[in-house]
Amino acid sequence: MPEYKSKAYSHIFRIALVLIAAGLIGVAVRAMVLPESFGDYGHYRGSAIEDEINRPIRNGTNSSCLVCHPYIREMHLQGVHNTVSCEFCHGPVADHVQDGKVIARLPKKEGNDIKTLCLRCHNQIIRARPKESIKMISMPQHLEEKHVRIDHNCNQCHNVHAPLMWVKEARAIVGAEEDNK
Amino acid sequence: MNPEHGMAVATALTNYVFPNELHVHWSLMIVLYPYITGIVAGAFIVSSLYHVFHIEALKPVSRYALVFALAFLAFATAPLLIHLGHPERAMSMMFTPSPTSAMAGFGYIYSAYAIVLILEILFIYRPTLVALKQEATGFQKPLYNILTIGSDNVSEKSLALDHKIIAFLAAIGIPMACTLHGYVGFIFGGVKANPMWATPLMPVIFLLSASVSGIAGIILSYILIKTFTRKFIDMDCIRTLIKFLWGCFILDFVFEMLELFSHAYMATHHWEALRDLYFGPLYNSFWVAQVFIFSVIPLVLLGILSLVKLPDSWVKFWGSLVSFMILIQVILMRWNVVIGGQLMSKSERGHTTFHPMWFEKEGILVSIIIMLLPIVFLFILSKVFPFWLDDDTVAEKQLT
Amino acid sequence: MDSIEKEISRGRRTFIKKVLGGTVAGSLLLVIPAGAMDLANIPEQITGMRGKTGPFITEKKFAFIVDITRCIGCGSCCVADKNEYQVPDGMYRTWVERYVIDDEDNVYVDCPNGGLDGYQEPRQDIPHPIRDTFFVPKLCNMCEHPSCVQVCPVGATYQTEDNFVLIDAKRCVACGYCIQACPYGIRYINPETRTADKCSWCYHRVRKGLLPACVDVCPVQARKFGDLNDKDSEVYKILHQPHVVSVLKPGMGNKPSLHYVGLRREVV
Repeated sequence: MPEYKSKAYSHIFRIALVLIAAGLIGVAVRAMVLPESFGDYGHYRGSAIEDEINRPIRNGTNSSCLVCHPYIREMHLQGVHNTVSCEFCHGPVADHVQDGKVIARLPKKEGNDIKTLCLRCHNQIIRARPKESIKMISMPQHLEEKHVRIDHNCNQCHNVHAPLMWVKEARAIVGAEEDNK
Repeated sequence: MNPEHGMAVATALTNYVFPNELHVHWSLMIVLYPYITGIVAGAFIVSSLYHVFHIEALKPVSRYALVFALAFLAFATAPLLIHLGHPERAMSMMFTPSPTSAMAGFGYIYSAYAIVLILEILFIYRPTLVALKQEATGFQKPLYNILTIGSDNVSEKSLALDHKIIAFLAAIGIPMACTLHGYVGFIFGGVKANPMWATPLMPVIFLLSASVSGIAGIILSYILIKTFTRKFIDMDCIRTLIKFLWGCFILDFVFEMLELFSHAYMATHHWEALRDLYFGPLYNSFWVAQVFIFSVIPLVLLGILSLVKLPDSWVKFWGSLVSFMILIQVILMRWNVVIGGQLMSKSERGHTTFHPMWFEKEGILVSIIIMLLPIVFLFILSKVFPFWLDDDTVAEKQLT
Repeated sequence: MDSIEKEISRGRRTFIKKVLGGTVAGSLLLVIPAGAMDLANIPEQITGMRGKTGPFITEKKFAFIVDITRCIGCGSCCVADKNEYQVPDGMYRTWVERYVIDDEDNVYVDCPNGGLDGYQEPRQDIPHPIRDTFFVPKLCNMCEHPSCVQVCPVGATYQTEDNFVLIDAKRCVACGYCIQACPYGIRYINPETRTADKCSWCYHRVRKGLLPACVDVCPVQARKFGDLNDKDSEVYKILHQPHVVSVLKPGMGNKPSLHYVGLRREVV
């Protein structure tokens, strides 16, 4: 019978020890790395809610624009476009003003871009639009009906902020009745 | 119904994908992950057939199958880590596993299985490792010291104790291997939003295809290693493995087809979209490759190999060929399930496309490297753990 | 505010410690980050929200209603959303789908660039006379039983007690399981943060008394957001009138709290 240095069960004993140690280390590391607010309200990091609340607001609503642009304000709020968002056409106010200072100018649509923008809402040919929501026109039939040149841009007759403003003013000057009545 | 109308239906059904679904999020890495864990589970089952169910014919590969499983197990998490957007946060799955998530259990199931597998290998190899430790020199000495857990006791009493532990580990290893892979199937099968995945058959199919890929991997590698090292091949063992492969593959294939058949037969509102998927973008990879070339042909070949008494050289050649084909079948199945399931939009009105790239983070090259790593590791393991009993006088003596 | 003042009187030192540790819920609201919007110029759109602290707003029951009989498909909401979150190209927190149904009951859906550029052209590829056509805005359904929260392995996607489903970008591992689990295809991996991302009903705006960006910019009030506990709110009235109101994929069992007025059976 040969002599052994180790006991018959010493390796089993050591394995059990290693497994227990690994488990304990795992528990210790978990306690160290676990975010402090984890589990406060559920199986998630409680302070994640604050992180989400603190996400910067970038669209400031029309009031944040109109507070500094009184002339546009007067037109915009009285016209039929009063529900249209300033930031839809011009971009978010966060790109324009930060901490009360103007940091950059927002783009203004020019030329054909204006027509494209107008037709996003008013294009008759896109049939999916409920009539009660919005006035629809077909291009270029609309220009032909109104007897204007076919290369006219929308903003030559319509103020983009108050689309019927110039139309009404022109009618008042010439005393014309609304032609499609 | 005129043909024009039919065309219109086809376009209407196949052209709308939700805008965020054009990109396939689970790509090649998630194809490889169930493939590798499947091979692990399958190889373990081969070993258990001997250790637990005492299929004596499988004795020559009983130890090798465990080391083979370990080689693949070591890289099972590699594709997952490569896939994660934040691999540095991977341990969150262990530290804060969500009790409701089907994925959160993977860390623990995988670790528990790894512990069982490693312990089983260490206990089975202990007499051999103790003998090798005595001959070891240089850096091998501390290595064998660790692997024998600092023990040199190979007395009858100690080995009897080991045997009890081995039997226990092998016994709990089977449900664990099944859990590991059935569970991987459930990760997919539990996604109710995806009608292709959401079937209770998914874990069963994954489990059966796991057994199939493990057995096929063992047959192929056993024949190849023995042929290249010009060693004796135990044909009885090969023939038994082929019979098991045939049986498992019949079940696997039947369930794979059953799943599709029940979708088609019940034809719920999902079926139109699923049919368009199976007969559209998946036509070649599913019907042509997975079903016909790599399932029907191997089934016939396996039937012949199992039922007809063929010369040894034929069994060796056709056995390794059919095993190789089955390994391809299983990866095709993983592809068709993982990628295929994501091609179909949840709008159920269309599908996207997926073309893997060679040189991207989750590309083809990385996939090939990941599949080669276990083979390299297996070679390294062969230097530490003698695979074959006939090379291992200590074990031979112990077991006789 | 009261609770914070109480905390202060209890002991400044411990309060500061707690603020630094982030355990005083909502305390970070007091810290105005650099570059923040000056809320003084923006009137409160949801009354009684400013100055509210605490992790959850339990006295209000928020509802989001989309009226598809009003939507004109202009894409203002999509533009506002992209601007609010600087959403990377090709990812969509919200989008507007166009449905076309022909006389043969075929359904054609499209959504070029998520509706971000609006719809300028009619569909040309429809061989039969068109029976009906309409737009459907999509956004997070804020499910009562959210699959994304169920499957998230690390608790990075969570549901607050006031029923917002949010994402903790600091803990998300980007495994993508939530993307697979969402029945509505709302989620995506944000390539910049390498985490999952989705519509939050503009939780940060709501907590500061502002409407979600898409609701605020909608020129035809197709998107409505409000408090169901307030009997004068539009959402309360809609849900208490005999409208056709439904949710998407009710069979999924997710119980979305996003409701649609005039939802058609063709919409998924």
